[in-house]
Amino acid sequence: MIAKLVSQTDLDAWVDALIGEQTVYGPKAKGDRFSFDRLNASKDLRLDYDVSILPPKKYFHPQQETLMTFNKKGEFESVIERDPFVLFGVHPYDFVAIAQLDKLFEMDYPDAHYLARREAATVVVSDVQKASAEVFAGAAGFATVEHRKGYDLLITRLDDGSYVVDPRSPKGEKLMTGLKKAPDVDADGFRAREAVWARNREQLQKHKLKMKPDEIPGLLAANRDHPVWEEKAALCYSCGSCNLVCPTCYCFNVEDELNWDMETGRRTRTWDGCMLTHFATVAGDHNFRPKRAARYRHRYFRKGQYVHDMIGELSCVGCGRCITACTANIANPAEIFNRLLEEK
Amino acid sequence: MSKPKVAIFDFACCEGCQLQIVNMEEELLDLLTVIDPVQWREGMSDQSDEYDIAIIEGSITREEDEEPLKLIRQRAKILIALGACATIGGINKLKDAFDLDDVKKTVYGEAAGMPHLATAPVKAVHEVVKVDYDVHGCPIDGKEFSYILRCLLAGRKPAIPRYPVCVECKLRENACCYEFGKLCLGPIIRAGCGALCPSNGFHCFGCRGYVEDPNVNAAKEVMEQYGKTVEDLREKMQLFGTRQEFTL
Repeated sequence: MIAKLVSQTDLDAWVDALIGEQTVYGPKAKGDRFSFDRLNASKDLRLDYDVSILPPKKYFHPQQETLMTFNKKGEFESVIERDPFVLFGVHPYDFVAIAQLDKLFEMDYPDAHYLARREAATVVVSDVQKASAEVFAGAAGFATVEHRKGYDLLITRLDDGSYVVDPRSPKGEKLMTGLKKAPDVDADGFRAREAVWARNREQLQKHKLKMKPDEIPGLLAANRDHPVWEEKAALCYSCGSCNLVCPTCYCFNVEDELNWDMETGRRTRTWDGCMLTHFATVAGDHNFRPKRAARYRHRYFRKGQYVHDMIGELSCVGCGRCITACTANIANPAEIFNRLLEEK
Repeated sequence: MSKPKVAIFDFACCEGCQLQIVNMEEELLDLLTVIDPVQWREGMSDQSDEYDIAIIEGSITREEDEEPLKLIRQRAKILIALGACATIGGINKLKDAFDLDDVKKTVYGEAAGMPHLATAPVKAVHEVVKVDYDVHGCPIDGKEFSYILRCLLAGRKPAIPRYPVCVECKLRENACCYEFGKLCLGPIIRAGCGALCPSNGFHCFGCRGYVEDPNVNAAKEVMEQYGKTVEDLREKMQLFGTRQEFTL
């Protein structure tokens, strides 16, 4: 099936039909912010959202999950979720983040919990309709995902209010069954979509990067002792907010809990964050990264160099969530990278 | 293994944390399969001087209350501080922000000089005796209490959050109070409550006490960014944070 041109009315009817058939998550209003949540009707779907408070990675790597149940004899059973679902309306930069997590969770010891959920999902990417206040995905090179693989459908709202719905995988084609009657997208439609992409690459730059993204690893490596780390960290609350809203952060902490029978229990994992004071505390209560400045610097190296070395691209996708979430206003990656360039 | 004998004692407090244990309802029968309560004013009539685990609710607000607490400590193998009054002094310490004689006169009027009203600067339990485990909060969370109890019965160290409330607030996907220009103590207060207050339209009041390294030096500059002052912040901290000393 090729891309279809779909009116708002037909899109709503299609989404309602999908909701009737399966579990669909999408962006919904939460106060005057937005949050991915279970959709009950197409009217709740807000494809005009600017950015969600938490990234949609939470459907693959949830805030907290049970990894296994066990008993004191040493027997255990893994908990793997395989229920199919549709994740509707993921912004391109958030999809890039998911694609990065796909690589990272597959690497070394493949993470069965993450990969099972990922396999069970149909991912619908929606091009950004409204830029958020702090987004710089355009500067990072992640404003659009037309050349990327790994998602199932791409939806773009054109300036005339109609949508291009473009299948990107067999799963996506199957999801589009309900749109058979819609007209195929013609050359004008594709040109209109190109225009949206060109505009998004330009407009999703509320902050500029004064270097090419690929220059960032080298820039960081040359500036381990730059004064900006101490200066900014002096205001850091070590609250982890920048980590917890980040679409590419994937660190977690594992805990065991016994039931009342004192024989059986469950093992859970919960999101962790490298800005937290005890993130690097190990057995014996030794903390090998006790200083704020060391933790603060670590985050930028993680986003700009360490993960880049593993997967070949910047692991800051420019969503801008950390900039909004940071109470002390010290978490803007673009600002830091630019300073390293200007003050080297 | 015989069930450990557990006694719950209350000092200066509202006894709301004990009530939270009574409120555990669906878990109470499970609780009784692993412990043997011997004294618990809100749950039973019996009293006993023999116990393995002592649970202390409330803070010490009169000097004469220190001796009984020390005696309890001697008798118990394990001592647990229950709730904000016990762990950090709680709102009782609000008293310490004022002149003690003024406080006495305001509260007791002409009777202020009576010996049994000899109120003293407030002490959290750990300021009088050694505390083995803290159950934080005003009031405590029954689920956390039950988790801590199960850990210590199994000989495991409970994982009590040492990170701030912001973590749990983010996990619940709340928009931050500060985004709306509203002061919140979340960045400097120990989590574990599940960000209960910020999730329900309030700011964090600070009932679980400060994290071990609150960034006090950042306060001035950060408050200014929001058009607030350090005084505004102090005012919010007074309720639970007056003369508070860091806990475990």
